[in-house]
Amino acid sequence: MELFLQGLQILLQWQNFLIIPVGLALGIVVGAIPGLTSDLGIILCIPLTYGMEPTMAILMLLAIYCGGTYGGSITAILINTPGTSANAATLFDGYPMAKKGQAYKALSMALFASTIGGLLSAFALLFLAPQIAKITLLFGPAEYLALAVFGLSVIAGVSNKSVLKGLIGACIGIFMSTIGMDNISGTTRFTFGNINLMSGIDLIIALIGLFAISEIMMKSQYNPRLDRQKVDVASLTKDKITRDEYRRCRKPIALGSLIGIIIGATPGTGGGLAAFISYNQTKQSSKHPETFGQGEIEGIAASESANNGACGATMIPMLTLGVPGDGATAILMGAFMIHGMVPGPMLFKDQGNILFAIMLGLIVVNVFMYVIGSVFTRFYAHITRIPYEILACIVLTFCIAGSYSTNNRLYDIYIILIFGIISYFLRRMDFQLVPILLGIVLGPLAEDNFRRAIVLSDGSLSIFVTRPISLLFLVIAVGSIVLFAWRNHKAKVRSAQANS
Amino acid sequence: MKIKYNTEIISGLVFIIVAAVLWLLIPSQIQTLEKSAINAQTIPRIAIGGLFLCSAGLLIQGLLSHDKKEIVITRESFHSEGFRREMRSVIFALMLIAYCFLITLLGFIISTIILVIAILLFYGARKWYYYAIPLAMVGVVYYVFGVLLRISLP
Repeated sequence: MELFLQGLQILLQWQNFLIIPVGLALGIVVGAIPGLTSDLGIILCIPLTYGMEPTMAILMLLAIYCGGTYGGSITAILINTPGTSANAATLFDGYPMAKKGQAYKALSMALFASTIGGLLSAFALLFLAPQIAKITLLFGPAEYLALAVFGLSVIAGVSNKSVLKGLIGACIGIFMSTIGMDNISGTTRFTFGNINLMSGIDLIIALIGLFAISEIMMKSQYNPRLDRQKVDVASLTKDKITRDEYRRCRKPIALGSLIGIIIGATPGTGGGLAAFISYNQTKQSSKHPETFGQGEIEGIAASESANNGACGATMIPMLTLGVPGDGATAILMGAFMIHGMVPGPMLFKDQGNILFAIMLGLIVVNVFMYVIGSVFTRFYAHITRIPYEILACIVLTFCIAGSYSTNNRLYDIYIILIFGIISYFLRRMDFQLVPILLGIVLGPLAEDNFRRAIVLSDGSLSIFVTRPISLLFLVIAVGSIVLFAWRNHKAKVRSAQANS
Repeated sequence: MKIKYNTEIISGLVFIIVAAVLWLLIPSQIQTLEKSAINAQTIPRIAIGGLFLCSAGLLIQGLLSHDKKEIVITRESFHSEGFRREMRSVIFALMLIAYCFLITLLGFIISTIILVIAILLFYGARKWYYYAIPLAMVGVVYYVFGVLLRISLP
């Protein structure tokens, strides 16, 4: 309790309340630009924190992290391009809502759900960190593989029209994730002797190509004279979230936050996976799953609460065990060390007061995020008024610069353009792009842990069903696929009866 | 010439060919020294094999389906509105491919300015500010990345 109060005292210094909005603004801008991630924002700002007090420095970086995760939803909703991989699930319903003229409502829900998810995650970090860390310590390769399979089961939910097309997408994604050097044996795979392919295809590059470039390609048949829609300026920010919608979103937000906390606390996973699983579970438990993907506000609530719910939780293994939860927390861990704090069990003992100040500060970061976001959401909604010709050029410029900045090489620009053209073909053939993304995200997690588990079990596959957590995830994955198949079958029977 | 098709037949056929080619390339593209049954080739084989089987399933589904489009290719087909719209996508894709070559030769600023002007002409933009805003953004992006973020664009 004494440390808690000391931490509160450190946090209440006025400089902290000045630096948090600066970090959030930077994070939101960085997160909203396709190709730039909160990881890059944190890296670029670390040198600025050298002269700061440790609490102030870490709070600024945490604000960039949280702001970046929320900021990615803005472009996901407005231009069908997630700013970061954590926001990929947001575009399922975010973009359809924007197309229906409900961009303001979608942006407001993204902000609200992000804030609640972030706050619950911050409280979990403050009160439950050691207990959650103990559970995630039980995770071995078999559990990680089962978690990846659980994530891949989302495909059943997002391939409503054709499960075969969804599976083809997943196979393409998993194949793409194997390109480059194999993590375990060091063998190069499908590089065709090209040195640029040795490091594989970067996730953010795939994301830009799959969603942003293909979206621009899809609109290449747009005719400004015939297709331009008149936007009523006055109605743009009038469409607020109703009380009934808030009530409907309570359950998805609670579920999303919980999933975000659990997945976020599991090292090597991250907000993207949490958002997909949360979206899938919300859709499955909904009384009207057919509205998901058509602009359902509950879909945004589920995915945004989960990805921001993972933000604070990724700090749990880092602070308690010294194991970073994702890329951003690995960079944050470096920042902690620069400021004289070594994450791990001793941190609570040695610098508990500063640690409590930071954990309490994360709550403040989320409150500020809501305030700043509320002010700017009105302006973001007006982006839909920009003529498409201008918007396409601006988005393309940012995508090109953003993809180049990922690895400082021209090759990534070629990759996004090639990916864009291939994804355009796939979209014209009625393929969903999300299964490809899931394959790219979960492929490496599944492969590495599958091979490690097989080595540990001397080649026996029984390891996946004899460990309780692994078995639990596999059962849930199979259960959710069966449930989706049953629902699809029932829907088909119903529509056949209606037709006859 | 009369053709009956649906998206299942086209995509099924394309991916069967892609999967078959990739499967044949595995031994030359993944030269692993591992002797265990589960090695660097395992997951690519599962993914490519899965791609082949699902594509074959999709092709069969497409062939058995009654929901097929029928097109008759004649000289007039090349003057139809549908063909013109498809050609716009092809031209757009060609512009992006040309950009890949241009950026290597001319660098980010000049090649992106050319691309932006080409896109605006493609959409038939006439107002001056339709050109001014995106072109100014190219400069802003170059400044933000180069000066503020210290990422020197090509």
